[in-house]
Amino acid sequence: MSAATTLLEQVLNGLTIGMVYVLLAAGLSIIFGVMDVINFAHGEFFALGAYVGLSVALATGSGGFWVALLVAPLLVGLVGAGVERFTIRPLYGRNPLYHILLTFGLVLIFKDVITLIWGQQPYQFAKPPLLSGTVTLFGFDYALYSYFVIGIGALIALGTWLALTRTRYGLVIRAGSMDRDMVRYLGIDIDRYYTIVFAFGAMLAAVGGVVLAGRQNVAPGMGNAVIIPAFIVVVLGGLGSFRGAVVGGLLIGVIQTFVRSQFPFLEGLAVFLLMIAVLLLRPQGLFGNPEWGTGGEGGDLLTAGDADVFDSALKRRIGVGLVGVLAVTPLLIGLPSYYVNTLVVNILIWALFALSLDFVMGYAGLVSLGHVLFYGVGAYATVLAVMHLVPSLFVALAVGIAVSAVIAWVVGYLSIRVSGVYFSMITLAFAELFFSAVFKLEWAGSSDGLFGFDPVYGLFAGPSVGSIELVGGVSVFYYVVLAAVVGSYLLARQVMRAPFGSVLQAIRESELRTGFIGYDVTVYKRRAFVVSGGLAGLAGGLAAVQTGGVSPEFLAWIRSGEVIVMTILGGMGTLYGPMLGAGVYLVSKELLLGITEQWQGVLGLIFVLFVIFVPRGLVSLPGLLAGRFDRSPGGGTDVLAEEETEVTD
Amino acid sequence: MSDGDPLLRLDGVRAGYGETQVLDGVSLDVNRGETVALIGRNGVGKTTTLRTILGAVTPTAGTVRYDGEDVTGLGPIETVRRGVGLVPEERRVFPGLTVEENLAVGRYGGSETANRRDPEEVLETFENLGRRRRSRGTDLSGGEQQMLAIGRALVAGADLLLLDEPTEGLAPLIVDRVSELIREINEEGITVLLVEQNVAVALSLADRVYILDRGRVVFEGAPAELEANESVMERHLGVTV
Amino acid sequence: MAAAESGTVRETADPVLVTEDLTRRFGSLVAVDGVSLEVERGEFRSVIGPNGAGKTTLFNLISGALPPTSGTVRFDGEDVTRLPPHARVRRGIGRSFQITNVFGALTVHENVRVAAQSVYDAGLPIAERFFCSTADFEEINARAEETLERVGLADRATERAAALGYGDRRRLELGLVLATDPQVVLLDEPTAGMSREETRATMELIDDVLADRTLLLIEHDIDLVMNVSDRVTVLDRGRELTTGSPSDVAANERVQAAYLGGER
Repeated sequence: MSAATTLLEQVLNGLTIGMVYVLLAAGLSIIFGVMDVINFAHGEFFALGAYVGLSVALATGSGGFWVALLVAPLLVGLVGAGVERFTIRPLYGRNPLYHILLTFGLVLIFKDVITLIWGQQPYQFAKPPLLSGTVTLFGFDYALYSYFVIGIGALIALGTWLALTRTRYGLVIRAGSMDRDMVRYLGIDIDRYYTIVFAFGAMLAAVGGVVLAGRQNVAPGMGNAVIIPAFIVVVLGGLGSFRGAVVGGLLIGVIQTFVRSQFPFLEGLAVFLLMIAVLLLRPQGLFGNPEWGTGGEGGDLLTAGDADVFDSALKRRIGVGLVGVLAVTPLLIGLPSYYVNTLVVNILIWALFALSLDFVMGYAGLVSLGHVLFYGVGAYATVLAVMHLVPSLFVALAVGIAVSAVIAWVVGYLSIRVSGVYFSMITLAFAELFFSAVFKLEWAGSSDGLFGFDPVYGLFAGPSVGSIELVGGVSVFYYVVLAAVVGSYLLARQVMRAPFGSVLQAIRESELRTGFIGYDVTVYKRRAFVVSGGLAGLAGGLAAVQTGGVSPEFLAWIRSGEVIVMTILGGMGTLYGPMLGAGVYLVSKELLLGITEQWQGVLGLIFVLFVIFVPRGLVSLPGLLAGRFDRSPGGGTDVLAEEETEVTD
Repeated sequence: MSDGDPLLRLDGVRAGYGETQVLDGVSLDVNRGETVALIGRNGVGKTTTLRTILGAVTPTAGTVRYDGEDVTGLGPIETVRRGVGLVPEERRVFPGLTVEENLAVGRYGGSETANRRDPEEVLETFENLGRRRRSRGTDLSGGEQQMLAIGRALVAGADLLLLDEPTEGLAPLIVDRVSELIREINEEGITVLLVEQNVAVALSLADRVYILDRGRVVFEGAPAELEANESVMERHLGVTV
Repeated sequence: MAAAESGTVRETADPVLVTEDLTRRFGSLVAVDGVSLEVERGEFRSVIGPNGAGKTTLFNLISGALPPTSGTVRFDGEDVTRLPPHARVRRGIGRSFQITNVFGALTVHENVRVAAQSVYDAGLPIAERFFCSTADFEEINARAEETLERVGLADRATERAAALGYGDRRRLELGLVLATDPQVVLLDEPTAGMSREETRATMELIDDVLADRTLLLIEHDIDLVMNVSDRVTVLDRGRELTTGSPSDVAANERVQAAYLGGER
């Protein structure tokens, strides 16, 4: 095969997968443009499309593929309409980040619903005979099915473009993405269009799922696999830009394919580097227009700082009591050591991780979607330090903290200049960059990770971790973790009471104002990010020692999602709330695991209900409940305080 | 008063944003076929009055009656469907849509009134818009954007047109043309409620004038009465004579 | 107000704030068009003009919220045109906001304290900045308490700012500015949305607590500034129409034309 045909084949491969990205990104982008919703569940619509298509095709026999191509998107569109109506709609007017959180919960639900119905095993979709084999065009053999994917993708993109530019619905939708309120002032009920837009986006994703299913296996992780590239496409092309989604989708498809064959060491990295570069140089993306956005409906992040009703003396007593209980827990005879050594340690470590996120999210308003980066880097650095530097546990943990803090400084330096949703996206991209990179690095154990190391409590020698057992088989390590977590909490709390913390809280309340009383907001946020990165690194290091090793799983974005869930669940902006959230999350998981395999889905459902009804988290529950019985002002009932404060007169 | 009742009646309307109360009991009438000007210094509640009439702001007290019906708190979509049109402050044309498309959005909303214009008709009447029918909203000059915003409201169809600062930031020559246009619209049977900073323009167009100060109506009368009343001009408009 | 009573503008040129040919465009719109101001130390200068005259844009250029398209801003002889807002505040240019912008979830005392702290921020050792409780900084707290006394909020110090009434929030807004110890204070319509009574009280408060500083005040209401200003600058469509004593400005025909509308 000549170089030219190889190149041509790669371009065609790239366009094939690129078209699937276009189908996904077009919906994501339009949904964002019109409704300001970042839909993490979009990948699940894609997967649902593939699975529903599969069932439809099986049920209808020969020619089933064509029926599936028609029916699956319609059914998924209906699901999309329901999702918009019942979960997304109640959140309009809140900060767009609540939609990210909500749709993250939906991802968990959809995943489990899919495995509940179709099971874990991968399926093979029977391609229709008409589309099998290869065709020869210009003396070049290539799979007919790929031409089909490119063709149908192009057709649908063209149809969508025509619908957007030539129809009444399209026109209103475009107008709505530029100035939502003006559309309302012309007497058009734009809210009704939201359902249509969301359903339509889900349909496009489902078409993508069905056509990709003819090319590869249908498996539970397929939504997860495409959502991140789809986001990159949308950010690259410009949030809300249809043209950007098309160009970006094809571009990413071709670049991915090309890099895989020509620069294999960059595989998985190139697109993230590209996304980071674009966000830094042109945050609005290639085709985005920052001045056209609606932007007027962004509410505040709902912190729980003033929503709980217990006074500080009571809280202190509860806290001291809890630490006391944790300190004597290992001594309780009869408690299986599994609970102490695994579950409680796990909770403590995740509590620390959630604390680190709350430090930036709840106090400085920085919603990091890639916080797993610092956790993972801390884990790797700790393990590498033990293996290559000194065997000392404490030195290694310190190295983990330091390396995470340095990485946080670099990431913070680059990303804090972009704001809001873009900051979230760029942190996600950095985390994914490291996740992909770690597979390439032999000294980091590639995909196997690093196991089999032996940290000691002394500097160079001494008893190693796990060798000293106390009553009931509980290790001393338990107390190390307990001390580290309690110490970190006290430290974080003290920082929040110090001048530094008071500036962070001012930033959360009003960045603009904080700048105008003389503080460099960017510098303060970056410092907070470094502290937070260090704490996350400590959590990661402890987790690695606890696990006995580290693997790329430590950097998987699902963990970023989980830690955000814990933070919101507990109540951000309180430091202890997210720690409580971590405990409740992991205990629920433990309990649900015993009852159902669909624990993720149930947790997702609980989380979705929390985001909608208790956005200030568990710590606001007593206040909310008290408010039910006693509707006095200040009873914590104003979950959604006045959204509109603009004065236009 | 042709039909007896006024087309629009505000009675003791109080409204604001969050904790800021802007309107402190505004009462006013607009009769069919009139041009009424609402003037006053900045921040006294003129725009909020228009937003309350449209239903974009819900009053905390008082009523808004349109065409004999209580429309208080109905929201903009229902109010517009009954025949109220808005030309907002700063025009708010859709920046990425062409002139034709901007007008078309008006056609898909609005109200089915006899005063509803066809987009082509608007493009013909406003010949400068007709020449730029394929230009995007952002590419228009301030005057053209104002024409387009008015044209869009006409296409949406309105028996009562609310105009918020239509001459703001325009060159004097363009101010004259916009004024002329408002006069024509009114002559064709559309009732106009005009908020203006430019007192000269307001007085030249209006049949009646209301002055708003700190959320209350402090003067009501014909333009000539106001011009004769120097102390009112000075006290409430900040015009030192 | 002491300076106003003298009725004349001092001839000794000691400009603390100077803008030279300051211009800001938004697309085709020239919001501020070649404005050159010289504000004397200790002067009470009002900037008035009809809607859309460019007053708030001018403030944004002086305070650093917006970069100018061309022209310079000099403060105390130093070119501050390229400095970010916080650096200008540190040098002594404070500003208030038209729409009250305080830290709602913090208490009144915390609001003012964090503002007062910024004066000392650069000199705080790292250990103190990160780990010492704010309650231990006596100088800062004393400063915050003194500020609260002056703006009349001392008895509400422990309330959350969001729970304050509108008038008290405007007081707190002033307190935030005052606590940073500015030489020049930019006040953006401090009486917007206030009742007559509140307006009078606020103007008295400004006169009372800020009399020793250089003031630049934006206002629509000509009457309001006539009695208190040393000099008045009138803006119209981005340009400086005239600057002079209140009585000169009031008598100026072009000013009346601008307010009545249409220089036709």
